[in-house]
Amino acid sequence: MERQKVISKLTHLGGEITNEIMLHGSPKIRIPQRSIGNIHFNEKENLLELGDKMSTRSFLNVAHSRKFMQTILIASKCKEFVSRNKTASIRELYYQLKHTIPGTRENTFDDQSESDPLIVDLEIALGVLREELHLKADDKGTLIGRITIEDSGDFIDCSKLGRSGLSIPSIVEHYRFHDVEADYVLVIETGAMFDRLVEEKYHLKNNCIMVSTKGQAARGCRRLVHRLNHELKLPVIAFTDGDPWGYYIYSVMKAGSMALAHESKRLGTPKMKLVGMTMTDIDTYGMEKVTEKLKDVDKRRINELLQYPWFQRKEWKEELNLMSKKGVRIEQQALASKSLEFVAEEYLPEKIAKKQMLP
Amino acid sequence: MESREKHADELFKEFRETSITEFFRKNRAHLGYSGKLRSLTTVVHEIVTNALDACEEAGILPEIRVRIDALNSEHYRVFGADNGPGIPLKHISDVFGKMLAGTKFHRNVQLRGQQGIGIAGVTLFSQITTGKPIKVRTSTGNGRVYEVELMIDITKNRADILSKEEYAEYWRGTELDIEIKGVKFNLSERGPFEYLRRTAIANPHARIIFIDPEGRKTVFERSSERIPKPPMAIKVHPKGLEVDDLINMSKVTKARKVSSFLVNTLSRMSNAKVREIQEHVSFDLNKNPRRLTWAECEEIINAIEKIKFLAPPTEGLEAIGEEQIRNAVLNILDPEFEAVVTRPPKVHSGGIPFLVEVAIAYGGHAGRVVGDGIKCEIMRFGNKAPLLFDAGGCAITKAVNSVEWKRYGIRDFENSPITVFVNLVSTYIPYTSAGKQSVAEDREIMREMRFALMEVGRKFHVYHSRKRRALEREARKQILLKYSIELASGLAKLTNKNEDKILKELQNLIEERITGMEIEEAEEGIAGEELEPTLEGESEDNSEAHREIEEVE
Repeated sequence: MERQKVISKLTHLGGEITNEIMLHGSPKIRIPQRSIGNIHFNEKENLLELGDKMSTRSFLNVAHSRKFMQTILIASKCKEFVSRNKTASIRELYYQLKHTIPGTRENTFDDQSESDPLIVDLEIALGVLREELHLKADDKGTLIGRITIEDSGDFIDCSKLGRSGLSIPSIVEHYRFHDVEADYVLVIETGAMFDRLVEEKYHLKNNCIMVSTKGQAARGCRRLVHRLNHELKLPVIAFTDGDPWGYYIYSVMKAGSMALAHESKRLGTPKMKLVGMTMTDIDTYGMEKVTEKLKDVDKRRINELLQYPWFQRKEWKEELNLMSKKGVRIEQQALASKSLEFVAEEYLPEKIAKKQMLP
Repeated sequence: MESREKHADELFKEFRETSITEFFRKNRAHLGYSGKLRSLTTVVHEIVTNALDACEEAGILPEIRVRIDALNSEHYRVFGADNGPGIPLKHISDVFGKMLAGTKFHRNVQLRGQQGIGIAGVTLFSQITTGKPIKVRTSTGNGRVYEVELMIDITKNRADILSKEEYAEYWRGTELDIEIKGVKFNLSERGPFEYLRRTAIANPHARIIFIDPEGRKTVFERSSERIPKPPMAIKVHPKGLEVDDLINMSKVTKARKVSSFLVNTLSRMSNAKVREIQEHVSFDLNKNPRRLTWAECEEIINAIEKIKFLAPPTEGLEAIGEEQIRNAVLNILDPEFEAVVTRPPKVHSGGIPFLVEVAIAYGGHAGRVVGDGIKCEIMRFGNKAPLLFDAGGCAITKAVNSVEWKRYGIRDFENSPITVFVNLVSTYIPYTSAGKQSVAEDREIMREMRFALMEVGRKFHVYHSRKRRALEREARKQILLKYSIELASGLAKLTNKNEDKILKELQNLIEERITGMEIEEAEEGIAGEELEPTLEGESEDNSEAHREIEEVE
């Protein structure tokens, strides 16, 4: 989107509210709802979509007043960034706006956790992307493997980055891909497992690109995986812990998240598959001794997942029910109980070759 | 049965022959002279009541002074003075020296002096405890002032005037100087101070000055210039009649036949009704009423029970009035909030008219200070006279406690700065005992009191929630104003418009909205307010006492 258009959208938002004030009406911002009630699962596309229910943030409603004021402050600051053609991190934005409200002891923002969700509100309300507001998040996630990425004129051979790999920035739109030799992409939940596989040179031996999400995948990471899949037609395989949290990380990568349902189309990778950890692995590889008991919070989360429309596939219901039945979870690193090399030399190659994967 | 029957004349004769001192000693509790504190309060009560009644009948705005001096341990001097009509010389002896000489005995009038035995009881009490006469100074304003010292000749039931002085002075009123022993003064809820405070509330037209034994002077200022109409004597309604009433009346009637005696004496009694009674009694109603026996009177009362009569007229009831009570409550309690309700007259016990007046006061000097805290206080009145004793068994206390005050926004009724005022007005108040300090639990009376209490409760609720909402509105306004500075600055940057102008309009908008809410609330009234419940399907405005065409059973 043109910078000028983003600026005019921000100005328009402010103009409407100002008019409302001049007319002594009720200043409000309409924002599409991001709760489960307004999230639909598109089975055909295998993606979460945002419905058309709107919520209204009204300044005169004291429950909204503070957030309303904060949203406008963020909008005005973004307009400044875009006008000056500067891109700030969301933390920088927070610090730029944080100050004491005159005549009070109250701060405009107390914590970055107050400003972050309002940025998303603004994105959806205006129909613009975070990067179009000239905001970026911290780098999160790492990539390694046989691909060369062009970034602002520099060419980065991602197979020659030692053991650390390429740190994935929050905006990856400007990346150009070159010299792709990999056969598939392996997305790994934990940094520790990523390190293990790097040390075993798994990506070189199996000719793949490895991406570590380091927990829940950030937008940049998800967008990059999406592009690798859509633009380069590389299959994507996920490798997470065998627990509801790991499976949810997978589901977000695959179908999108509720918080960013409006961006599912840009961020989701519906054709992704999951190689492990699965409950059947426990029996197949004889790992009963290295499981962990489910806590109450795990059990509750399983039940929640079972309610989500995008977990209604037969295989997933079976997997989650089996987990409940066994009452255990299993971590990726439990594979080390066999040997350090087991995961790279036997577990992954075998399962991937046999296509023993969950949809 | 014949042996138990006594002619009323005999009863009277016996009574006279009994030592009056004996009578007093035996009936001390009934007469209000039990307990050291209560005896003192009763003395004050008799003095004040006498003064108020006299002023009322003479159409004078009363000014009453009461001073109590401590002479010794449990030995006090009570000095009372009023600006009333004064007492003509020839009546002094009857008023102060003759027991049961009150005019009320044969008049069905709602007067304060329904309890005790009148001011003569004070004379007797003084005489028994100190052996001294009381001193009376009085004048009707004709230039002649009398100073009299008197005692009661207890064998003859009449005043024994020990000294009499007469001199010229233009002054009007009555002063009493009384010494009593075996009594105790304190400032408790049942003492003379509280008695006078409550009397002041129930009699807003009176100015009352009190000086306690410590020399502390309290003036309860008058809050109304309106002198209550003296209640009219009304005839007794047959349904409210008891055997002894009937026999007493039969002794003083001038009628020659029982039939005409009944028609002349009782309200709603017609010749047709007398004929109906005749059908139920075993004797001829043409006999001389003075010869009626107890058993015959009983027969008449039983007959009356079987017959329908028109409801009694209500003119005999003199309420204090909402406006008067409000003035008095504001004057004495200076509350943050008050509500007053006077209910329309109803009947109890099948035919006795009554009405209930209720007030609630919140904040200010309402409530009773106990230690460091404030507790609620219930002020009970029977025909404007404060009822200080036997609170626990009293229907008024029960009615107040039966109300779910929580419903009306009073979370902790017991520990709130609240004064509840209840005045029961009736030509005949059913008391639980001869002490006449505690109202019996009559169904109709309870019901009326509850309705009145719920009504003031609802008024309080409206006020209370308004107050709470006003606070909420103010808080809301402050929040909005706080954020408007930042909002205006953000909007100015977004739109390149003038920040000060945006802020000013925003502040105007907030002001407008908050004022708008206020108006809306006032128009809405109070949401969710419940209506007066009707008991057992009875309709609320089924006011028998109002519609005299209807017959009561």
